[in-house]
Amino acid sequence: MLFERRLPNRLENVNAFIKEALVQFSRLSLPESDIFHLKLVLEEALTNAMRHGNRLDPDLFVDVSVELQGEKLIMKVKDEGRGFDFSKVPDPTHRDNKEKPNGRGVFLIKQLMNEVEFFDGGSGIKMTKFLDR
Amino acid sequence: MSLQVRVEEREPEVFVVAPVGEVNTDTYLELEKKVNEVIPKAKALIFDLKEMTYISSMGLSIFFRVKQKLGEKNAKFLWVDPQPQIQKVFDVMKVLPDAMVASLEEADEYLDTFLDGVQKGKIDPKTPHDKGA
Repeated sequence: MLFERRLPNRLENVNAFIKEALVQFSRLSLPESDIFHLKLVLEEALTNAMRHGNRLDPDLFVDVSVELQGEKLIMKVKDEGRGFDFSKVPDPTHRDNKEKPNGRGVFLIKQLMNEVEFFDGGSGIKMTKFLDR
Repeated sequence: MSLQVRVEEREPEVFVVAPVGEVNTDTYLELEKKVNEVIPKAKALIFDLKEMTYISSMGLSIFFRVKQKLGEKNAKFLWVDPQPQIQKVFDVMKVLPDAMVASLEEADEYLDTFLDGVQKGKIDPKTPHDKGA
């Protein structure tokens, strides 16, 4: 395990955590583009967890962990909400959905990570990046 | 991870908005506020992205809202010169590809032709064109 945190459910904690994560990522000798993508998917997963999962309830928490398994970087984000039906997230690039704000974060995560799995009914997301070092 | 937003009236009613830094969960409202101040006065708005180093889905939403608002008043929207990482995000999300031009000079050229055509009655601004809203 590289690191794990239990973040109080406040959006201002997202970028503070990301700043800390970037220090850890910088030790892994990753290409700049990988760092950019890891930072972006972390922000998307954490803001989704706080906004949609925990519905901005400041009494709840989001658990986040980052693990290195060989050349795989695995990040998990878990909120305390009821989850969601991830099969029903609309494709935000479809012309009928382009003006709709929902779905862009999950779509970006799926595009930028090598593997994405939801668990606990959608209240958790596991994102895997194959590292190219 | 801060954001500065430079706004310049390049020619009468043609504004250039240049985000400098990161457009993320913490900063996107700052960019949107500046853009909303300009929209009522603009017949064309250009996002100069040369110094924008990061954007998350919250920031991307601004692009769609700006396009919609400008479209409602038949004003043009263009964006120029994104950094490669940002360009990739835009490509993945299919963010308004028809509003992208290579440089401010090309944007000027395009807008001159477009606005001249509108003034002389040769172009109906409500009809879709090659670029922008």
